[in-house]
Amino acid sequence: MEVFAHLATGFMAAGSLENLMFCLIGTVLGTLIGVLPGIGPIPALAILLPITFGLDPLSSLIMLAGIYYGAQYGGSTTSILVNMPGEASSVVTCIEGHQMARKGRAGAALAIAALGSFFAGTIGTVFIAAFGPPLASIAQQFNSPDYFALMLLGLVMAIVLAHGSVLKAVAMVLIGLLLGLVGTDTNTGLTRYTFGLSGLWEGIDFLPLVLGLFGIVEIIRNLENPPPPRETISTRMRDLWPNRQELRDSIPAALRGTGLGSILGILPGGGAVLASFASYTLEKKISKNPRKFGHGAVEGVAGPESANNAAAQTSFIPLLTLGIPSNPIMAIMMGAMIIQGIQPGAAVMTTRPDLFWGMVASMWIGNLMLVVINLPMIGIWVKLLSVPYRLLYPAILLFCAIGVYSTSTEPFMMVLMIVFTVFGYVLFKLGCEPAPMVLGFILGPLMEENLRRSLVISRGDPSIFINRPISATLLVATVLMLCLIIFPQFRKTREEAFQEE
Amino acid sequence: MTVWPAPKRSQTGSHSQVFREETMVIKSPQDFGAGILFILFGAIGLYVGSDLTFGSARNMGPGYFPMIICGLIALIGLIVTAKSLAIEGPAIERIRFRPIIFILLAIAAFGMLIAEIGAVISSILLIMFAAYARRDVNLVETVIFAVTTAAFVVIIFVYGLGQPMPVWWGR
Repeated sequence: MEVFAHLATGFMAAGSLENLMFCLIGTVLGTLIGVLPGIGPIPALAILLPITFGLDPLSSLIMLAGIYYGAQYGGSTTSILVNMPGEASSVVTCIEGHQMARKGRAGAALAIAALGSFFAGTIGTVFIAAFGPPLASIAQQFNSPDYFALMLLGLVMAIVLAHGSVLKAVAMVLIGLLLGLVGTDTNTGLTRYTFGLSGLWEGIDFLPLVLGLFGIVEIIRNLENPPPPRETISTRMRDLWPNRQELRDSIPAALRGTGLGSILGILPGGGAVLASFASYTLEKKISKNPRKFGHGAVEGVAGPESANNAAAQTSFIPLLTLGIPSNPIMAIMMGAMIIQGIQPGAAVMTTRPDLFWGMVASMWIGNLMLVVINLPMIGIWVKLLSVPYRLLYPAILLFCAIGVYSTSTEPFMMVLMIVFTVFGYVLFKLGCEPAPMVLGFILGPLMEENLRRSLVISRGDPSIFINRPISATLLVATVLMLCLIIFPQFRKTREEAFQEE
Repeated sequence: MTVWPAPKRSQTGSHSQVFREETMVIKSPQDFGAGILFILFGAIGLYVGSDLTFGSARNMGPGYFPMIICGLIALIGLIVTAKSLAIEGPAIERIRFRPIIFILLAIAAFGMLIAEIGAVISSILLIMFAAYARRDVNLVETVIFAVTTAAFVVIIFVYGLGQPMPVWWGR
């Protein structure tokens, strides 16, 4: 029952008129950016990050969570109506959802996606409330070697889930780690890799990095290769209701998706992408007539959409209890928290219970708002798809620039943003995906610190990582993952999974 | 997120014969470029970091972790480069200079000028520059759009969110 007491604290904190408003603004803005073709949650979060900085910590976290859910929801809308996935986790929705739309069931697909997500979000919230505290107490038994092993596992998972070449993904993670180390070494106070620039003494600023790599490079990419005009399928309010057969098929799928997503979300490296792919595969496997898949199977919308929302929810657990982001999106969340002066981790739960539980409660409120407000507004979002790109991109660019300037008036920040835009552009031309780099960037200093502490405890003996049960287990998992990458059979399925995009 | 098709090479005609000779060496230009980039990254990291104390496992110096990482980056760079000579892969897409140059100019102009001329005019400038990242710009539409957007954004950030920034010049 303690769970409910905690949740009550949370709803009290998140339920204030002010916070409800920020939650609403967050979900609406998130949807607004997320619905734009080609913009997934990562660029959406990056672009909207600056507007949350002026707020107090709880409001800003609530707004960020709202932006995240909104962006994801907006992404599914675009997937279903225009067949253009904003990011990997809505790729699967594209496959079945757009087929449904072509058959005139766009409204039903949208409604099922939204309701499935809401249901999954509700379960996910209860999941966090129930498992957050026990996991936080487990987290207290975590020692430096365990943290190090956990981060290693997370990075390896990020590599497994990255697109394209495994080797390049490894290099991206490593470059991220290195970039994360730039600045003053916490242990000795010496500056590292600052090239004599005082602007780098406190490390590379997070905002210009993500905005350059994800926001602005995205714009340049779209300008170079204008996305082909695709037919947008219109939908009306009255088409929004799924018929009985569709409901009957989608409810069990949504249940399975929620369960699968909730569990996969907690795992290091887990999250929305993994969950939606896994759920799609599961639905296809257990379906009585798998031939339906690829031609608008409603289970293929309900399952993955529920799974990715549940996972989006539960992937906050490692961040909030262990202070370790499990995927690039959580890395951005963590970056935002640090800018707010909050060091995520188990301590937040005890020192600022209103913050922790308020955020958990706001996740549910955000999900509710998405259904209640956004679903009827589908028409407006669809109209937004018809705003020409020639007007959209300068506005987005301005938003990025003002955002950076409003957090720091240093001209150096703009220089950094330009540098990372160029860097991101080069990476794009060379077929390297930058998402794993952000995870490395956030984890770099943490990994170094925990490695250093571990080796101080063991007096330089690396066997400490194998002797502690927690770290040993995590390392075994890491090795298994590495085997999966190297093992040819799995590699093939990984490539096939990404081929479907 | 895009899957690039493998480049097709014609094998007929004397002209393309020469072309083939040249491209025999690098079979995957994209990977070759990435490999070189990684090697550069690793090498610069190793060079710049060589001043830092390495220390020992027992007592890690500030150079310990970065040097290991740079070494690994360079190593992967070597492997990726070597593979690019042996295994066929995608070509590097043609670089179009117009978008990237105008986008960067727009940011640079904004960043340099906002402290001097204020948020409104620098925002308008940013949008004007950005608009020219495309061809066929409709000047009237762009100007109207720039002015309204600048006003809108300044209202949100300065008056709505209370961000401290000069609205006009002379402050």
